[in-house]
Amino acid sequence: MSLDTLYTAETPEGIALSLRPAGVVPRVLAYMVDLSVRLGIYLAISMVSVPFGGMGRGLLLVSYFLLEWFYPVVFELMRAGATPGKRMFGLQVVMDSGLPVTPAASITRNLLRAADFFPFLYAFGLVSMLLRRDFKRLGDLAGGTLVVYRETVALHGELPAAPAMAPARALAPSEQAAIVAWAGRASRLTPARLDELAVLARSITPNHAGDATQQLLGVAQWLVGHRRGGSR
Amino acid sequence: MTPLLFETQNAPLWKELEAALDRAENKRLPKQHDKTAAKVKRPPLDGARLAELYRRSCEHLALAQARAYPIHLTQRLESLTQRAHRLIYRRHDYGLGRLKQLVLVDFPQSVRAHRWYLLAATLLFVLPMIAVGWATWRDPGFILHLADAQQAQEFDSMYDESASAFGRTRDASTDWQMFGYYVMHNIGLGFQCFAGGLFAGIGSVFFLVFNGVFFGGVAGYLTARGHGENFYSFVVTHGAFELTAIVLSGAAGLRLGYALLAPGRRTRVEALKHAAGDAITVIYGVIGMLVAAAAVEAFWSSARWLEPAVKYGVGALCWALVLAYLGWQGRPAKGSGAHDAG
Repeated sequence: MSLDTLYTAETPEGIALSLRPAGVVPRVLAYMVDLSVRLGIYLAISMVSVPFGGMGRGLLLVSYFLLEWFYPVVFELMRAGATPGKRMFGLQVVMDSGLPVTPAASITRNLLRAADFFPFLYAFGLVSMLLRRDFKRLGDLAGGTLVVYRETVALHGELPAAPAMAPARALAPSEQAAIVAWAGRASRLTPARLDELAVLARSITPNHAGDATQQLLGVAQWLVGHRRGGSR
Repeated sequence: MTPLLFETQNAPLWKELEAALDRAENKRLPKQHDKTAAKVKRPPLDGARLAELYRRSCEHLALAQARAYPIHLTQRLESLTQRAHRLIYRRHDYGLGRLKQLVLVDFPQSVRAHRWYLLAATLLFVLPMIAVGWATWRDPGFILHLADAQQAQEFDSMYDESASAFGRTRDASTDWQMFGYYVMHNIGLGFQCFAGGLFAGIGSVFFLVFNGVFFGGVAGYLTARGHGENFYSFVVTHGAFELTAIVLSGAAGLRLGYALLAPGRRTRVEALKHAAGDAITVIYGVIGMLVAAAAVEAFWSSARWLEPAVKYGVGALCWALVLAYLGWQGRPAKGSGAHDAG
């Protein structure tokens, strides 16, 4: 677990939600996309407004201001909780309690962009993100927000079917968990690798000969509760 | 209990929660993919039942984690509880009522709650302003320490009696352009003043002193050159909003800086979060005041055809209103506070 950059938030019910904070690269890419979207909007407004003379130029300056400071705020407060760039990379802004971002937090994190930008090209923001496990920039620290991946990755699936068989000896809880976790990853590992791992656990399968994978899968099925030979 | 038994016993409950969540989340999305489901008239969502299902699922998740059940099972429970958590604890109190509360109570109250930061910010702004203003008034050449000769000439030509002076030849469309410029420039400045506080307050101190020095320098220079009336009648009205707003955002920035330097019994990050939550209310008000300042500056201050006496009068009124608003608005009425509490 310590290898992962999972961030756990505790709820009032005493359970821990795990969030996956997004690192520097996807956030920089999302920023680039947002920058070009903002530029596009600005160009479109300028084409429409310049013929209107001074009033048009005034409108252009106001829209520049709004795009600069409030473009992220507006999008973060919508249902997706993300600007178009963030949405493109599957990111989302949430509170560090795992809840949708509040207006105050969104405004805080976006106004403090000015500090993250200092002295040039988001230098402080990048340093802060690189130094922290949860990749918060200064605005995120003050706002109590977190940029996370929207989807959770499912590394583990259902256990593959196999005739259940009891292990050769009683297993400690951690051993049981390891075997069940191994079986859950069956669909993601190559058969060769799966077998290589199964051979390591040879000592606990009832027969020491034959297909190690099938036997260990059987033990896993037995551990999750199947008893009579068949898969169900 | 084996994982299998656990799953078969509790799966109906999880299915029910899943269905309730789907319904609650889809309520805000009018698109219905499942046409047969849309046709069937269903009873309204039972909030109490949802809360019960959520608590039960939380229990199940805790059990599943403690007993090291298969990971796909815990993950299913995790995503289920996470969705329900988001739904149940989301906030509802947005909208116009919240805005009214902010303008009438929260903003002035939070300004008063920051009174010591406000005092510090005011001193940081006003003292350099007075010092540099006095220096340039005594010796107009002092302005060359702050700006080059060309800029100084521009100040002169902006506020002198010539035809090209500020506000003389302006038409309505220029006013609009200047409004846009003031919004972009001044509000950006206010935000920087706030954000600078994140560097232990140094950024806020810098912006406050810098703006005070510059403003004092220009004021002293123009007074010494004899353009005082043009300048002060221009500045007095929007200054009520703009100068206060800059000082307020500086005070909010100082709050952030102080939280980092002296976090008290919290960790530094916690203290910062807490301070930002308080200070952002001040910034909401600063935004409103700076927009008002930009409008006044573009459409009123620049009107040269108005008598200076009128501008001074309106300016004084604005100062009185702003200070009274910040000083007294949002205090509980005498007696009613005790009554409410009892």
